[in-house]
Amino acid sequence: MSKETKKPFRQSMAEWRQFIYNPNSGEFLGRTAKSWGLILLFYLVFYGFLAALFTFTMWVMLQTLSSDIPKYRDRISSPGLMISPKPDTALEFYFNRSDSQSYSEYVTTLQNFLESYNDSKQSQNIVCTPGQIFDQSDAAVKKACQFNISQLGQCSGKEDANFGYSKGTPCVLVKMNRVIGLKPEGEPRIECTPKEEGMVNINYFPPNGVMDLMYFPYYGKSLHAHYLQPLVAVQLAIRPNGTKEEIAIECKILGSPNLKNQDDRDKFLGRIAFKVLMSE
Amino acid sequence: MKRELELDDHKLDVKELEVKYSTSATKGLSEAAATERLLRDGPNELRPPRGTPGCVRFGRQLAGGLQCLMWVAAAICLIAYGVQEGEGDRGSSDNLYLAVALIASWSFTGCFGYYQEFKSTNIIASFRNLVPQQATVIRAGQTLQVNAAELVVGDLVDQGGDRVPADILLAAQGCKVDNSSLTGESEPQTRSPECSHDSHLETRNIAFFSTMCLEGTATGLVISTGDRTVIGRIASLASGVENERTPIAVEIEHFVDIIAGLAVLFGATFFVVAMLIGYPFLRALVFFMAIVVAYVPEGLLATVTVCLSLTAKRLARRSCVVKNLEAVETLGSTSVICSDKTGTLTQNRMTVAHLWFDGQVHAADTTEDQSGQSFDQSSESWALLSQVITLCNRAQFKPGQEGVPVAQRDVIGDASETALLKFAEVTSGSVAAARGRYPKVVELPFNSSNKFQVSVHDAGPQQLLVLKGAPERVLERCRGALRGGEERPLDPRWRQSFEGAYAELGGRGERVLGFCARWLPAGSVPPGTAPEALAEVAHGLCFAGLVSLIDPPRATVPQAVRKCRTAGIRVIMVTGDHPITAKAIAAAVGIISEGSETPEDVAERLHLPLEQVDPRQARARVVTGAELAAMAPGTLEHLLRTHPEMVFARTSPQQKLVIVESCQRLGAIVAVTGDGVNDSPALKKADIGVAMGIAGSDAAKNAADMILLDDNFASIVTGVEQGRLIFDNLKKSIAYTLTKNIPELTPYLIYITASVPLPLGCITILFIELCTDIFPSVSLAYERAESDIMHLKPRNPRRDRLVNEPLAAYSYFQIGAIQSFAGFTDYFVAMAQEGWWPLLVLGLRPRWEDAHEQELQDSYGQQWTFAQRRYQQYTCYTVFFISIEMCQIADVLIRKTRRLSLFQQGPFRNRTLVVAIVFQVCIGCFLCYCPGMPNVFNFMPIRFQWWLVPMPFGLLILVYDEIRKLGVRRHPGSWWDRELYY
Repeated sequence: MSKETKKPFRQSMAEWRQFIYNPNSGEFLGRTAKSWGLILLFYLVFYGFLAALFTFTMWVMLQTLSSDIPKYRDRISSPGLMISPKPDTALEFYFNRSDSQSYSEYVTTLQNFLESYNDSKQSQNIVCTPGQIFDQSDAAVKKACQFNISQLGQCSGKEDANFGYSKGTPCVLVKMNRVIGLKPEGEPRIECTPKEEGMVNINYFPPNGVMDLMYFPYYGKSLHAHYLQPLVAVQLAIRPNGTKEEIAIECKILGSPNLKNQDDRDKFLGRIAFKVLMSE
Repeated sequence: MKRELELDDHKLDVKELEVKYSTSATKGLSEAAATERLLRDGPNELRPPRGTPGCVRFGRQLAGGLQCLMWVAAAICLIAYGVQEGEGDRGSSDNLYLAVALIASWSFTGCFGYYQEFKSTNIIASFRNLVPQQATVIRAGQTLQVNAAELVVGDLVDQGGDRVPADILLAAQGCKVDNSSLTGESEPQTRSPECSHDSHLETRNIAFFSTMCLEGTATGLVISTGDRTVIGRIASLASGVENERTPIAVEIEHFVDIIAGLAVLFGATFFVVAMLIGYPFLRALVFFMAIVVAYVPEGLLATVTVCLSLTAKRLARRSCVVKNLEAVETLGSTSVICSDKTGTLTQNRMTVAHLWFDGQVHAADTTEDQSGQSFDQSSESWALLSQVITLCNRAQFKPGQEGVPVAQRDVIGDASETALLKFAEVTSGSVAAARGRYPKVVELPFNSSNKFQVSVHDAGPQQLLVLKGAPERVLERCRGALRGGEERPLDPRWRQSFEGAYAELGGRGERVLGFCARWLPAGSVPPGTAPEALAEVAHGLCFAGLVSLIDPPRATVPQAVRKCRTAGIRVIMVTGDHPITAKAIAAAVGIISEGSETPEDVAERLHLPLEQVDPRQARARVVTGAELAAMAPGTLEHLLRTHPEMVFARTSPQQKLVIVESCQRLGAIVAVTGDGVNDSPALKKADIGVAMGIAGSDAAKNAADMILLDDNFASIVTGVEQGRLIFDNLKKSIAYTLTKNIPELTPYLIYITASVPLPLGCITILFIELCTDIFPSVSLAYERAESDIMHLKPRNPRRDRLVNEPLAAYSYFQIGAIQSFAGFTDYFVAMAQEGWWPLLVLGLRPRWEDAHEQELQDSYGQQWTFAQRRYQQYTCYTVFFISIEMCQIADVLIRKTRRLSLFQQGPFRNRTLVVAIVFQVCIGCFLCYCPGMPNVFNFMPIRFQWWLVPMPFGLLILVYDEIRKLGVRRHPGSWWDRELYY
């Protein structure tokens, strides 16, 4: 019962003040300066030791890692697909073909993106044999294969600086995520299908949306510094009846049994869906 | 309710009563009237004090301090989910999952707590239903056996030797009742149809509900039933006394408040930090929630409940049934035990303790089985004395008990005669045979005016007159005394020896009886002589010897009292018995230790008047109820402080309450034993009320926290030992449970401040708290004591807290810190080996968690989609989870001891703990490797070496704690000991 009796407010305040600083014993928060000093020193040593141990462990661990190839690649056994340009908001393209301002961002992105594919930048890259895996595992220096931008035809930016956005035939570049050591089987190609038929015609550059095997495998950014991902340009020729309506398009990688494109939980594994709404 | 019950039924005569209750004193009620009245008045039972309704109790389980916090957390999750859903942000159902998980886990723990409480309240109910009492009732002229619960007012009851089933006004015949459950006095009292007193409590013609009818039979009318009986009123009075909260409840509440406060403080701090760093409000709110979830030890309450109920089960096996779980621990902190005498300290049966013949005192065997009587039986005097004992006795064994040991046989007869009968049977062989040889001619039973009993037996050519009674009365009728088998005249030397023996035995609190005999010529007392005439014949007898009787202490009690003493527990005897008897028993069991003196003893030794004795010279003190009643307030406390050894005699149960309160005012944790209904206020008031399972009344059992099935004081001591053990083990268990809160919390702190991908998910935390770590923490309850806990003083509930500063600091800032480092090491290893180097990981969070970012580059130039990153994050959760588990194995091993080395305690001695560890690892494996886990509970199958990474840290924990314990053992009282011993 006695526990229940409330102390008067003033008394409990005084007790608190006493706890925070007790002038009689010189205790601050229940400890004297010496006591604080000792306990803080103890924890300093303790945590210092732990931190040192942690750092040492990290260092040892990093020593065991190769800087070229990650120890495990099983988390990304199959690559994801991505497009360029990539709208900020979800993957939805909104533009007016007669308003250059509305698509200038896409155009700039594409130009910047293709910058690294310029012939001048590819001077060190070699010409590889199309149609077969370019295995260089024995070579000390890994070469990168040339990706000729002209393969992209109307989407290369050379014939049309606006990548077709002004003509109602916008280009979207589809690329596959870089995964070290990935060797696609069969003949991988990109195929895009609109959700509703009859609103859009789709052209592929290179033809059939083929991704040439010679660009694989990838050896990682330190060994394979000049590596360029193969690209597939998808030109959407939007028909007049397709304007002012949102066109949903899904692109998938096909023709290669070891590249997944149907994962339930990963909507970007070997496939990508985006929407285009063009107005006039 | 406190108003005295007004009753004047006892002043009415039978005719008036018949009218008042419209019944008949010969035929009883009709069946129809009985049924009608049963409906009107309800069954004749004591209603248990009204408990809180089930739903309220259940609600209380769900609305504790921590629970409320978790509800808030769940609400935040739901809000966050709702807002995200509203923003069209799909795929973020994590928050919904979490909310569901939180609600489910807390509902589960709530149900569990409720179930435990429900189970313990039901124990008492099962007690009552064990044996439904029967009553013999006459209805419509027919004698029936009915359940006592079906009695109604006006019923005509035929009462034999049994518990009185209701308040009954005697109409015919008479009996003796034991009113001890009502008034505490154990002398049987006569009940007869005459009204002898104005007060209904004193009058002879009412037999009260729940008292025992010892002998005789009576017929009477039921005048009140159930709660309206005198005892029912007292029982409901008891429910008015507030139940004190148990110390452990106070401890846990205190501790939970601190935890909840700290959780909110932590959460709020980081909420503010997150807002300052620039997180959106909702995110910051989710952080707040996550920190609360991480910091609150969800499994703690369940652990504590399970630990306590395990101990309760262990106690039940040793005859202590614990009604209130928390009482287990209270028992451990008990510093004063107020114990009854009769039945608790003693065997509750009269036994022959000493004999005096041939001028010498002989000790008889008073052990419970009375196997060996070892005194010298060769004397001729003994032959006669034993014959007198055998013959001058009206008690007899109930038939059909030939195979039963003498000590356990049922006897018809009063306590003293029973004792003598059994004594005679053991020492001199069959009593029945002896009585057959010497058939009884006439007998005058004992009565209070004569104070003796006499009978005459045919013994072949002679008649033998045997007499027993109060020694001084017996001596008056003697002419000579037996010495060496021959009658010698009474000389002063003999008288002196007699007086000495009488005083000595009386001073030991024993009831002394004198025995004498005389051979008469055959036919001097013909059959059919009026018994009263015997008093005239019985003169000029020969004194055979003295026999003293006592209710001897139980064999186990002195040792138990000694144990209490070494454990720093004070045992106070509170009895309704005579002071001399009380003192003698107290001395015999060690409550008054050898060499201790009462003020009276001191006065006698120093030949001083009692008033001049310095009370400080007397360790012991016997206080009677009358003295107690005359005391000024505060005097009792003074006495309790002055005399360490106290005995209260001739006390009423109300005074018991006063004694308990005084002890509590002195800061003691008081355990009280009791059996009578009117003990129930004291039982409730005590920190732990202990009711007697055999002698105890329902009301006492209702009011008590614990029930001793064998009524044995030693069981209380076992309880104390278990209580202390569970306190120690709870401490260990809590330390173990608290430790992991730090490695659960730090991931969030680092996540918010260093912006790394989240190392540990909320659902994973719930799995640690409520699944894997429950078993090891419970298994610590099976840990044996580190040292002899019964050699320590009881803990001071205000100073020795369950959770103290060193415990929290050591768990949180040292072991918890090591565990956090283990977790982060493993986390960074798992990230780096999958391609994310530590320096890249720092600050990666915004891009990592961006659901639109499908090509995030790792340290090797590979590109990851969001889903791939998420599985990597789950891998991190699992790795962190395994790290905590590995460290917790080390943690549970170090928690086995607080002071001793693990190897002194035996690392695998506690089998349950070993099993728990194995089980914990198995659950860990199951969670990791069961298919489907990644998408259900966010566990990923992890690589074998990630199990190994935390192991050096586990080893570090073991080694560090051994160093800590070594320091604590080697340098008691040092800085190390003060800061690191919890």
